[in-house]
Amino acid sequence: MNPLLAQFLAEANDLLASVDDGLLELERHPGDPELVNEVFRAAHTFKGSSGLFDFPELTRLTHAAEDLLDAVRGGRLALDSGMTDDLLASFDLIRGWLAHVTAHERLPATAGQDAAGLITKLRAPLGGGAEPAAADQESQASVRRIDPPPQWLAHLGTEWLIETAGWLATTSSTLRFVRYLPDQDCFFRAEDPLHLVRQVPGLDRLAVIPPDEWPAPDQYDEYVCLLSFVIATRAAVGELDYLFRYVPDQISVVELDAAAIHRHLEGEDETEVPVATPAPRPDALHVDPALAADAQAVLAAAHRTLAVGEPVGTQLAALTASVTAAALALGVPLDLTGADQEAVNAAIEGVLGRAPVEPAAEPPAVDHPVVAALAAPPAPVPAAEPAGRADDPGGQVGTRVLKVDQEKVDRLMELVGELNVAKNGLTFLAAAAEEEFGSRALSRRIKDQYAGLHRIAEELQAAVMDVRMLPLSVAFGRFPRLVRDLSRRLGKTIELVTEGEDTMADKDVIEALGDPLVHLVRNSLDHGIETSEERIAAGKTPAARLTLAAVADGDAVLVEVSDDGRGVDPVRVKRKAYEKGLISEEELESLSDSDAVDLVFRPGFSTADQISDLSGRGVGMDAVRASVEKLGGSVTMRSELGSGTVTRLRLPLSMAVTQVMVVSVAGQRFGVPVDLVVETVRVPAAEMGRVLHQDVVVMRGEVVPVIDLARALEMPWSPEPDRDLAVLVASVNGQRIGLLVEQFHREVDVILKPMEGLLAYAAEFSGTALLGDGLVLLVLNLKEVLGLAARVA
Amino acid sequence: MPLELRDESMSLVGVVTVDEVEQMVGWLRTCQRPKVSLRRCNHLHTGALQAMLLFRPKITSAPKDAFLASQVLPLLTGSSGDTGRQGTEPP
Repeated sequence: MNPLLAQFLAEANDLLASVDDGLLELERHPGDPELVNEVFRAAHTFKGSSGLFDFPELTRLTHAAEDLLDAVRGGRLALDSGMTDDLLASFDLIRGWLAHVTAHERLPATAGQDAAGLITKLRAPLGGGAEPAAADQESQASVRRIDPPPQWLAHLGTEWLIETAGWLATTSSTLRFVRYLPDQDCFFRAEDPLHLVRQVPGLDRLAVIPPDEWPAPDQYDEYVCLLSFVIATRAAVGELDYLFRYVPDQISVVELDAAAIHRHLEGEDETEVPVATPAPRPDALHVDPALAADAQAVLAAAHRTLAVGEPVGTQLAALTASVTAAALALGVPLDLTGADQEAVNAAIEGVLGRAPVEPAAEPPAVDHPVVAALAAPPAPVPAAEPAGRADDPGGQVGTRVLKVDQEKVDRLMELVGELNVAKNGLTFLAAAAEEEFGSRALSRRIKDQYAGLHRIAEELQAAVMDVRMLPLSVAFGRFPRLVRDLSRRLGKTIELVTEGEDTMADKDVIEALGDPLVHLVRNSLDHGIETSEERIAAGKTPAARLTLAAVADGDAVLVEVSDDGRGVDPVRVKRKAYEKGLISEEELESLSDSDAVDLVFRPGFSTADQISDLSGRGVGMDAVRASVEKLGGSVTMRSELGSGTVTRLRLPLSMAVTQVMVVSVAGQRFGVPVDLVVETVRVPAAEMGRVLHQDVVVMRGEVVPVIDLARALEMPWSPEPDRDLAVLVASVNGQRIGLLVEQFHREVDVILKPMEGLLAYAAEFSGTALLGDGLVLLVLNLKEVLGLAARVA
Repeated sequence: MPLELRDESMSLVGVVTVDEVEQMVGWLRTCQRPKVSLRRCNHLHTGALQAMLLFRPKITSAPKDAFLASQVLPLLTGSSGDTGRQGTEPP
């Protein structure tokens, strides 16, 4: 099912419930303006969303209900119980329809008839009476423009057309058909017809038409467009006009219904068919003849069974079920729940008497087997109660989606975290059992228990996190439109490429990612990417490429916004930063190019000489960095002058649980986020060197600066001279640094709580966490610790 | 690099733009039994599609991209393309 429809159904369920509640409440407190408003709003929303889909009866019925409620709201009518009954009946009918839509993705065939009576009733109190209402309905139906079927329809294939015509007749809807004949020299105008075609929303069928005759391979000119396209789509005419707005003379759009397609199939192309053809009979049903024959055999057998014996209980239930299934296959939905033999028998007779007989029924003079199948007489409205009525207990609206308050999921996550903490306590207990009580066996059994509990806790955590996970396509979804609109406005040709949309990340992360991404993309469009002329002058392709890519990286997700634009000019950036007083003259001279690129993240920085309406005011890159760092992530930018810029966001997959490595200095334990840790090593004291007031160790040919954590945090501790030094190597801002600690401990999963109150200023800690043995662990913010160490030294 | 050319086979990678068409046609012209992998292709320019329709190289692997797989691949592999209606098929 298409996600939009699924969403609509899920929401519809809520809206229907609130309409029902509101109406019932209104009966008790008539004239309460707030209640009327509430019901009206729900009906209005409902009508609005239903308009997105091809459910004309649904929209019409809700429209009538909405009009009535509007009159009540406006004080022109007093709601009486009769009207309430009608309204409730309408929404009950809608609920039945939606149950049908949930199962079949279309309204029941009888929808039009069922709605008509209710619409008349709903409109009656409005003074208009039944006649104008009916007229209104008529005019609405005939407003739909049906074009004569064009010849090129044939490219879509007869079989498909027949199938589609059947479907259109069943739903009394229409489809738009487009023929797109690109100009031969369109490639030179940077047009890509196939790219346009793939953007057609609701694309149902595409036929690519090769030229009648291909040129010989050695005479083939690869820059002449020889292909043309025929498309069937559910998109509205307006959408198509918008999409093809730059090539209006190369396309033709027609709107066709089942009758028009039939006319095409019968060879009446572009004849003098009147434009306002009568709408197809709403109850026309297309039934596969083979299926119909089978179903009729089943019904006949059931009929005989009933005539011979007197089935009761489960026997009758089974019989009823098969009759219902067979009837449904014939397009006659029956509701025989709880029916007795006689009722079932009557239903069978009803169906057998009226269901489409063999397609032998005279097709209109066309000797074409498939057309004959189409011309089979429509299934009649069954005598029994049609399926999808209000009292149908089997129907269910929407898929099985549970809507839960986010707070509840957050609470679950918190509990999982606490479970993790409690679980971690077991390892301490095991150690205590061995050391304090001297029972190694008990210790082992506790450890076994721990292992089991650990597995469950981990799965539970994954399950709860999964509830909160969304694919990055949610965050990327808004960009095709944004890039298209902005590039048109800026007069640049930009191709947006997205990669790794199905990478999953926490809902909070995805949501928080939206604004930084929009900013980066806008920045790239505005500053990074040149106009086509500039690009050609620089020897690049006229169309720039903007890539949004996401990839999972352990317990983090990397999101990259990259373009192949002009890149950041480090000299210009330095000069701008100096002019704005962000850097000193000395820095202006000494800053390396890659550090200069980083200047764009300084608050107050902007290279734009002119403020455009896209960027240059409001948030700057500093805001992007700040908001990403608030999520526990980091932003880095690489840029090469002339060939583009890559901005990389690194975000934690989830903000709920952090894995930290525990180390201690001076008897105090600290946590270091595991994703920063590169390795832990023990270095003989003699190997520690000193370069320019800085301790260093050489590891695998690389010089790694080492920071004494105790000194940075001003804790009294100095390493024992004859022991190896414990160095934790971490990667901060892309650089390796070593952290001299007293001892390494295990890794633990913790829930990080932000520093609050008096300690909120302590930026060298990113938060606190509770350990299993009840101790509070301070988790280090390594970036700040580095700064601190630099100041201490 | 959107085109990865070898003697008898070619891989299309990412988005094949109009700029690659000339190179591609040149390769197709010289190749005896051209084979093309579309696995990593996200989109190909109309000109590239047209060239492949003319030269009919053997397609060795199907694209992952949904649009290419459902709408373009059948044209190239020469099947009728009757993959049925998408999405709106009543069950």
